[in-house]
Amino acid sequence: MEEDLALFAVEHASKLGAEYVDARFEDHYNELIIVANGKVQRGTINRKRGMGIRTLVNGAWGFQSTTDLTKKGIRQATEIAFKVGKASSKHVPTPVKLAPAKPYETSYKTKVKVDLEDIAFEDKLKQIITWEKKLHTSKKIVRGLAEYTGIKIHKVFVNNDGAKIRFFNSLAWVSLKADSKKGDMTQFYERTVGHSGGYAIFQKNDMEKIGSEVGRKAESLLKAKAAKTEKDATVIVDNDYAALLVHEIVGHPSEADRVLGREAAWAGTTWWAGKIGEKIGSDYFTAYDDPAIPGTLGYYQFDDEGVKAERKVLIEKGVLKGHMHSRETAAIFGVKPNAGMRAITFEYIPLIRMSNTFFGEGNWKKEELIEETKHGYLISCMRHPSIDDKRYNWTISAQEAYEIKNGELTTHLRDVALTSIAPKFFKSISAVTKKVEIVPLPGCGKGDPMQSLYVGNGGPYIRGVATILGVK
Amino acid sequence: MASILTSFKETGDAILKIAEKKGLDEAEAYLVSNKVLTIRLVNNAVFESKGVHDIGVGLRVIKGNMLGFSSTADLSKKSLERLVDAAVSTAKARKLPCKYSFPKLGKMPKVAGIYDKKLAELPSEKAVELAYGMVDASMAHSKKIVDNAGVLNVVNYETLVLNSHGVSAKNMGTFFEASLSATAKNGKNVSEGSEATAGRSIKELKPKNIGEKAAEMAVSGLKSQKLKEDTYTVILDYEPAVGVLGYISYLVSPMIAKLYFPLFLDKLGKKVASSQVTLIDDPLMPNGVGSAPVDDEGTPSKKQIIIDRGALKKFVYDSFYGAIEQKKTTGSAVRASFAVGVSAFPGKNYNGEPIPVPRNPYFKPGKWKREEILEETKQGLLVRRFHYTRLTNPTRGDFTSVLRMGLYAVKNGEIAGALKKSRLLDNLLNLLQNVNAVSDKLVVAGSWGDYAHTPVIRTKAHVAPID
Repeated sequence: MEEDLALFAVEHASKLGAEYVDARFEDHYNELIIVANGKVQRGTINRKRGMGIRTLVNGAWGFQSTTDLTKKGIRQATEIAFKVGKASSKHVPTPVKLAPAKPYETSYKTKVKVDLEDIAFEDKLKQIITWEKKLHTSKKIVRGLAEYTGIKIHKVFVNNDGAKIRFFNSLAWVSLKADSKKGDMTQFYERTVGHSGGYAIFQKNDMEKIGSEVGRKAESLLKAKAAKTEKDATVIVDNDYAALLVHEIVGHPSEADRVLGREAAWAGTTWWAGKIGEKIGSDYFTAYDDPAIPGTLGYYQFDDEGVKAERKVLIEKGVLKGHMHSRETAAIFGVKPNAGMRAITFEYIPLIRMSNTFFGEGNWKKEELIEETKHGYLISCMRHPSIDDKRYNWTISAQEAYEIKNGELTTHLRDVALTSIAPKFFKSISAVTKKVEIVPLPGCGKGDPMQSLYVGNGGPYIRGVATILGVK
Repeated sequence: MASILTSFKETGDAILKIAEKKGLDEAEAYLVSNKVLTIRLVNNAVFESKGVHDIGVGLRVIKGNMLGFSSTADLSKKSLERLVDAAVSTAKARKLPCKYSFPKLGKMPKVAGIYDKKLAELPSEKAVELAYGMVDASMAHSKKIVDNAGVLNVVNYETLVLNSHGVSAKNMGTFFEASLSATAKNGKNVSEGSEATAGRSIKELKPKNIGEKAAEMAVSGLKSQKLKEDTYTVILDYEPAVGVLGYISYLVSPMIAKLYFPLFLDKLGKKVASSQVTLIDDPLMPNGVGSAPVDDEGTPSKKQIIIDRGALKKFVYDSFYGAIEQKKTTGSAVRASFAVGVSAFPGKNYNGEPIPVPRNPYFKPGKWKREEILEETKQGLLVRRFHYTRLTNPTRGDFTSVLRMGLYAVKNGEIAGALKKSRLLDNLLNLLQNVNAVSDKLVVAGSWGDYAHTPVIRTKAHVAPID
């Protein structure tokens, strides 16, 4: 039924004169539970289904979404999508052209061992209350917070090139956060566990144990020493910190719309625009974006333009190799489209987004990195980013750090941030471990209206040089 | 076009009937029709025009001491049954720590200037022309302008709250948000400027004004000096003042304070700002960007003082958080979704339970004219834009923003030239406690979906250059 309606939209827009049209039917099931200090703050189930119709008319984009899934509703929405595209075309001096993409007819599913709806909401709620309780490892924990999101999406994509793609996805994640206090000192620690693949991840991981670990970490930060500012220090960043680092200073600037200045008014631009082929970092610096990794939050096989997903090589041995593309930006750059387009729901037009962006592997072991450091810092777990609009000057705080002296972890540090200039840091990367980990990042924002999307990010442990900032 | 509210009433009544049949003590249906037309401008051209028509219902139910919530965009009879069942299933383990009941019927006030038929029925062709008018005006302002990007969002919403106590509160409104970022170039020098505003009617939308202001800021920054790191007297123009206001609005929400931003939690009755700072929430303000006769659970709107001459007088409440803390609702329920993967468009949202936040907050205007604040600043900075503003430590109040454009040195009461990109790094409480001047007029300002009425404020802040 959905496919027929989507095909009707495509056929109708084509008849009206659209040179390109795609239609996305989506059915969303979404659960949210928030528990703070033992009290349930939110416990909701949301359902939403509808269709987004995108047209290219005289080289200009038009889009309309609707929740009216009758033939009449789809006809109306299609006509609006066509009309607004046509109205826009008056002010589009360079008509949009799309790079060719092979139309696929396929259906695929995320591997799900335990369906979200097979566990009673009540039971999930009880579990999350228990995990939150575990955050309270002592009276020093003044606030515990557990936030659970579960999503199921059934998506049907069709376009007038003949693509027909059906995708069943299921994602879930839990963030656990503990705030600790002693006297005037307050600290916090948080961790997110999540994947694509239903509810099984919470059965595979010992969530109660993770809750206790988060609580104890928050407590331990009360005893940690405040970090002191140190210019150009040797730093080893762990997988979790590398995740936010790669997200902010590799992922975002790799979005081709950003490279073209199209996000200038919102998120910003990119310092490396026009530098494809140039060496911007050391030989140890490699980065990818890869949607086709099952189990990750950024998993998909086809993007929201129907393009088959593949690993995008963004940086290879320090050389800027390529960007994340839509069919439109691929045509501008004269490259193959690489499946970078996603929309959060059918109500939004797709944008170029990260899927799973991560630093590439090296051949070191974590222990070797630490052993070989005479004086430096192990920077652990992401906190807040503050990056300039060109993704050049960056400051990212960490949840904790350890001073390394003569190859050993020594003083535990709190309130620590790293700052550097992107190319300076990239050139300073001198060693990378073998094991890459991708962690969930559920709230990446882009677009107007804003689309908050879930992605995966990560990397190995990375050694480089950056300035340590004592936050306070 | 006919209002959807009649069919909403039928749907809402049907939901309440199903809930009653299933033995629930109370039910509340919040029905929304939200239309958004977005014209996005990029590289001096229209990049895309996109429309959304979002229709759906959010349902809360009470059974004994349990509360549940569910929402759906499918208003078919079968789906409504499922909606009630889902709300019941969420209620099963959610036992409330206190007795809770949905709001009772109240007298609905009227608010002028929040719905404009012309804006509601604005044809897309006309919207495209209005949006592009910002680019035209910017290009016409100076030959140095090389690029423009921006957006026009036009929103038309209708909502209806129905509950078991007989509340039947409808709300209709329109608004737009319009912004433009301009880039100026002169030789190797490149500079950006931006302007953004919002309003409730078509007559408030002045594309020429927006384009010219963005271009003027961009050109003014072409010759800029590097700032010296220091603590400065800082004049926060309208847009950055909204940046500060936005965070304070979160801090006075008992829910957000408890979950995420606890900075004010222990400060009720205490001084949190200088005596120049009074924070008012007035959802009855005619033409107010956040005004409406009722809040999002049907409680009649009222004006209230939240910070009075620097002292934190109250937190704001919806009925639920009011019940938890034995307070009355202050009519501050706002439906904003916390759920990732459901829409969060400008306008109204049925996907979430209410959150208590000020609905149309503003700093009470002071006695100073904007020009006087500048004239009476011997040495300092004028900040016209914030970017990437963050409360990096929500317990301690560490606050940062990138001053990416529109930053000027002020010397002896005059603008002494533009400054290069810098970063404000201070503490939100310090910023509030150091406010020493507030201008006398409210202007609508903001960015990226977050607009409010505000005066200009002068304070002190630590600012460092960005290399």
